[in-house]
Amino acid sequence: MKFSHSICALFTLLSCSTFAANDTQSLPVCPTTSHQLSHNDTFGVQYQLSGAQHGTLQLLRSQAQTAYYNPENGVAEWWNFAIADHPSFIRVFAKHQRRIDYYTGDLRTLNIKVSQAEMESFATAQLLKQLSHKGPATCDGSQVYEGDVKQMHYRVIWSDELGLPLELSITHNGQTKQWQAQKLIPANEVELTLSRWQQFSDTDYADIGDNETDPFLAQMINQGFVEHSEHAVYDSKGKPMHGEHIH
Amino acid sequence: MKTLPHVLAALTAAVATALVSQTANAAVLPDYQTQSGWFTAGADAVAAKVAQVRNTAGAKNVILFVGDGMGVSTLTAARIYQGQAAGNTGEENRLSFETFPYSALAKTYSVNQQTPDSAPTMTAMITGVKTEDGMLSVSADSIRGNCLSSKGNELKTTLELAENLGKSTGIISTARLTHATPAATYAHSPERNWEADSDMTTEAINNGCHDIAYQMVMDAPGDGLEVALGGGRSYFLPNTVTDGEGSRGRRADGNDLTAKWSENFSNAAYVWNQEQFDAIDTANVDHLLGLFQGSHMQYEADRADDVGGEPSLAEMTSKAIDLLAKNDQGYFLMVEGGRIDHAHHAGNASRALQDTVALSDAVQAAMDKVDLSDTLIIVTADHSHTFTIAGYPARGNPILGLVHAPEDEAIAAAPTRAGDGMPYTTLGYANGPGAKNGARADLTAVDTTDVEFLQQAQVPMSSETHAAEDVAIYATGPGAYLFQGSVEQNVIFHVINQAAALGGTKY
Repeated sequence: MKFSHSICALFTLLSCSTFAANDTQSLPVCPTTSHQLSHNDTFGVQYQLSGAQHGTLQLLRSQAQTAYYNPENGVAEWWNFAIADHPSFIRVFAKHQRRIDYYTGDLRTLNIKVSQAEMESFATAQLLKQLSHKGPATCDGSQVYEGDVKQMHYRVIWSDELGLPLELSITHNGQTKQWQAQKLIPANEVELTLSRWQQFSDTDYADIGDNETDPFLAQMINQGFVEHSEHAVYDSKGKPMHGEHIH
Repeated sequence: MKTLPHVLAALTAAVATALVSQTANAAVLPDYQTQSGWFTAGADAVAAKVAQVRNTAGAKNVILFVGDGMGVSTLTAARIYQGQAAGNTGEENRLSFETFPYSALAKTYSVNQQTPDSAPTMTAMITGVKTEDGMLSVSADSIRGNCLSSKGNELKTTLELAENLGKSTGIISTARLTHATPAATYAHSPERNWEADSDMTTEAINNGCHDIAYQMVMDAPGDGLEVALGGGRSYFLPNTVTDGEGSRGRRADGNDLTAKWSENFSNAAYVWNQEQFDAIDTANVDHLLGLFQGSHMQYEADRADDVGGEPSLAEMTSKAIDLLAKNDQGYFLMVEGGRIDHAHHAGNASRALQDTVALSDAVQAAMDKVDLSDTLIIVTADHSHTFTIAGYPARGNPILGLVHAPEDEAIAAAPTRAGDGMPYTTLGYANGPGAKNGARADLTAVDTTDVEFLQQAQVPMSSETHAAEDVAIYATGPGAYLFQGSVEQNVIFHVINQAAALGGTKY
């Protein structure tokens, strides 16, 4: 499983392998702020997963950095594309104030290849090209896209301003799950969070083999959050994500 | 496949001896035996041994190569890999150091573990004393992670003894220079992970222990290391600094140890990329620090794609020798292939083998530079891995490929099937990430030679582990003959001490 190929892969640590009936039609948040936001700005968006399974996911963006954070279990996956061809990746365990840092070579041994555009767009940048434009949505500067891709029906409300979906619905075998933007996270809050993570005690992924007796690492390994394999993202139980392909 | 092995050209005298021997044997052996290429090559090899003269002179210079995690099976696989890359069947190939005249096996257990990590094993090699896992050049009377307990238990290292004698010293590693293997040569720490001050405990700081990077620059033995080339730049920079490759410094004490290097030592230089490294004129530099990556350097397979560019292990070794050889008193140099271990932990044999070949190339670079009449070269490993070479693949079967049974003319098209009906690779691991719960994956349509491929494993573990069997020691030059048979790993120190007359013991 490659990160760029799975919507579930982006939704770190949230169970999204099963579908549930769509139980909400609430409208997404409209990104109205005191100034016009650009996708290059520092900001965050909090999404809510609706259906039989619930969860919250925060997307945090600051310059070339994009992080997906699950506030419920305190685990984040944090990408830095400052050097685009050599992205770095950090898995954050906020409750333990620990990090595991992955460098380019580590990502290669894990066969992880990512697209910066996909990471920054909630995995929908490529998807939009395969959907039909249905016209403007409720929020200013947002558009509705819809269509079928590989036996799945997608509906996206896309914010041109943020370069992100305000709403993403995926229907498969009569069941729908929906990610919906709930609120914007201000820049200072994003910067504070990233700065706090930067201070956490870190372990190089390559060094795990020499430190498996570290109680924290042992716990994370045993729970499945850390493994040397092609699966580098996990559901809330630490199981590798096997999400449906988005395109 | 009847390819004969390549052998060393025998010395003239040795050939004469061999011919005498063969003539004698020919009386009882048939011609088709004595005229076999295998037979004559084997006789030549013995003749060369007979003609060999022990070099009992003193070693002016010592170079210790350490392949981190380079067990015997890794050597076998790497030699085949290198040979096949050159277009040959592979098995007949020799890594550069496999031509060395003397060898031994080293027992690698530590004071407290049957299977060790790199800290006690390098401590054994560099101080002559085994210690407990996780501890660097302090005795087992210390408690891991406890600074106070290590006070007074510091063990003198080969590098320090060499500095005390006025020799030049150097360390090279593709891992961080603060990682266990290079760190054990110059630092003393009850915790291998105290690489920067931000990694240390309050107890450690309050009791006066210094982090490993600090020790390398600020507590340096003698007049300081003359050469330090490798990774780990972040550990030498303040946490307010982001370097040229985007890595943030880790030091909380505000020290820029790269600047301190230039301040502390005469004619000192600091470089962090290939261009700067290439520009160094060793005639004009006496203390060279090169930190080419924030953390570990790239795997050899990925090196060409590095942002700032990185020199190869061979290039670093060659330049280091040029610089160190300026000292008439001689030198001690430690060179580590540090990422063989990491690739094995990841279950990624291809990268492990490429890094092993890179170490072999570095040894060759050294052999091309030095005079073996006064330079002792030792090549060994700190520990092994659970790496296996299995099945009955045909001669010349791609070492990273599926097992194909031998056929008379060609390797069979269809791979050999195991009891579960699935094909399997020659290389595998006893444990690690390549293991799957349930049935094995069908590799029939998988390119197992791809650099990213993870070999299958038996026991599922997040990270493939070290292994406990002996590792090999290869040696050439003065004192090399002292490596014979099965030895404890700490004997390596004593051979160096004896050969180079470092004065560290009663010798």
